[in-house]
Amino acid sequence: MTDKNVTHKSCYKWRSHFGVSIELVIGTILFSLVIILIIYRTKFQTYDPYIGNLMDRFEPMGKNGHLLGTDNLGRDLWSRLLEGMRWSISAATMATMTAFLTGSLVGLIAAQNNGWIRTALNQVVDMALAFPHLIIAIIVVAVIGRGFWPLTLTLGLVSWPIFARVVYAESLSLFERDYVIASRTFGASRWSILIGHIVPGLRPTLSVMLAFHFADMLVAESALSFLGLGAPLGVPTWGNLLQQSRDYLFIAPWLMVVPAAGIIYAVFTVNLIGDGIAAQARRHGRRIDV
Amino acid sequence: MKEISQFSKIPYWQILERITKSLGNLIILLFGITTFMFFALRMAGDPITVLAGENASVELIAEINKQYGFDQPLIVQYQFYILNILRLDFGVSLSTGQPALTYVLSQVPATLLLAFLGMSVTLAISVPVGAWLGMKPDALSRRLASGIVFFMQGLPGFVTALLLIQVFVVQLMWFPSLGYSQVKAWILPSISLASFLAPKLVRMISANVSEAMREEYIRTARSIGASEWSLLWREAVPNAMLGAVALIGTQFAFLFAGAVIIEVLFLWPGIGLLLFRSAQTLDFPVLQAIAFVIAILVFIVNSLINATFSFLDPRLQRNTS
Repeated sequence: MTDKNVTHKSCYKWRSHFGVSIELVIGTILFSLVIILIIYRTKFQTYDPYIGNLMDRFEPMGKNGHLLGTDNLGRDLWSRLLEGMRWSISAATMATMTAFLTGSLVGLIAAQNNGWIRTALNQVVDMALAFPHLIIAIIVVAVIGRGFWPLTLTLGLVSWPIFARVVYAESLSLFERDYVIASRTFGASRWSILIGHIVPGLRPTLSVMLAFHFADMLVAESALSFLGLGAPLGVPTWGNLLQQSRDYLFIAPWLMVVPAAGIIYAVFTVNLIGDGIAAQARRHGRRIDV
Repeated sequence: MKEISQFSKIPYWQILERITKSLGNLIILLFGITTFMFFALRMAGDPITVLAGENASVELIAEINKQYGFDQPLIVQYQFYILNILRLDFGVSLSTGQPALTYVLSQVPATLLLAFLGMSVTLAISVPVGAWLGMKPDALSRRLASGIVFFMQGLPGFVTALLLIQVFVVQLMWFPSLGYSQVKAWILPSISLASFLAPKLVRMISANVSEAMREEYIRTARSIGASEWSLLWREAVPNAMLGAVALIGTQFAFLFAGAVIIEVLFLWPGIGLLLFRSAQTLDFPVLQAIAFVIAILVFIVNSLINATFSFLDPRLQRNTS
């Protein structure tokens, strides 16, 4: 009986030291597959993603060495999927980073100041949160045009308020903690408190948010490209692949199913990572509400 | 009885204060949106080309100049613009020639119908499933089911819609895919809209129900001899719905955004389809009117939900007084 308890306890200790939640492990392994495919994509691509052979139009999966079939111009879908993966993943990363940097900066500034700056910033964040950001993004991209930077910056700059809101609320409660008040009474400067206490305290929440926001941005990017308002036309991003597949729903259903599966795979793994980090933080006694 | 008496106890000035405060927020929001749209139009380059097209006649350019005052300095233009909006004049749609605001408003009912259908399907699915999952979250079948729900949560709405079209319209030919003239065509759009709201709601309701089932009042009721069924539906689920209503409130703004793609996919003649078409043709008066109308719609829905929320949860009323 006692032995059992001891093993149980040591098990638990091991897990809390090195251990990571099972979702995080699975999610990271599955997502690193995506990263590997992006980095070494030229080694995995069996055909040129941009040049097709018109004799091989609409070949189903697995025929003639076309792993996932070919599209209306005879281009290899597997190679195109890998090519578009790079675009979609890096666009989502840049959009997430833009939103993250802007939002956390605004949130920290609002938490630091007591006066009218805080009121004004909170008002702006409230306003921006009340409006669906995808609609703003559609209008802005329609006006300034397609492309990598227009799309990523727009997506980042319309979706930052959620970061600002969470960072603001979290750091307000962190400023009230005993250890922060103690270091302030010892004369720590504002910046050293910010860098030494507040930012590390925000880390678990922010990592969960980054994961979920990345998934959101991935979906938003492909949705906008799907509407014809995102990526440039020639690039085979996942949204563009879906968009092109719409004309051939009856002849070549795989043209739609394959990029859809790619989006679902990426979003699912990133969600797993986010959930894993949240579960881990919960095990350490922190609740994360994102 | 108790709740009703508490509700009537709120002094009238407090209700007035709430209403004026939220109206003030609405005005700030509308001001922000319209200002943003003004500068977005100027950012696009020469606004006359945007408004009149590449090869516009001299008379048309002169007329646009007169209407918007593009030959004036920016501040005067802005003043012009705001004054026009205060008169609810967004200009004329470039593609149809109708006044932009009436054109947009004529599309609102279809979008509202879609939102209503999507919300109904969401609630009809997620309340029973969430309650079922939350009753015994550790049972094997429910773990499996919550795994499926977690997977569903990651499915992007438009991808689900595409897959639904592929299966039910293309392969099985059960439904017509386009338009909204027949009731049969309403099914797929509302299911795809629900598919990205329901998983989140299911998870929230099941978490709340399982938390509520451990509360002491449930234990008391069980010891008195209440059946599991009435415990679940009379005690646990109503409490779990409180959090769900808050979630629905935050999700409604995204319902409109999600509706854009669903409407485009199913050719549903609502605001979303109009937004898509005007974005393609850069029909700027219509885009401005759409942003304005959506802001008001989101505001109305949010304040309705806030009112429901404070009606459902008497604790909130006590906190504010």
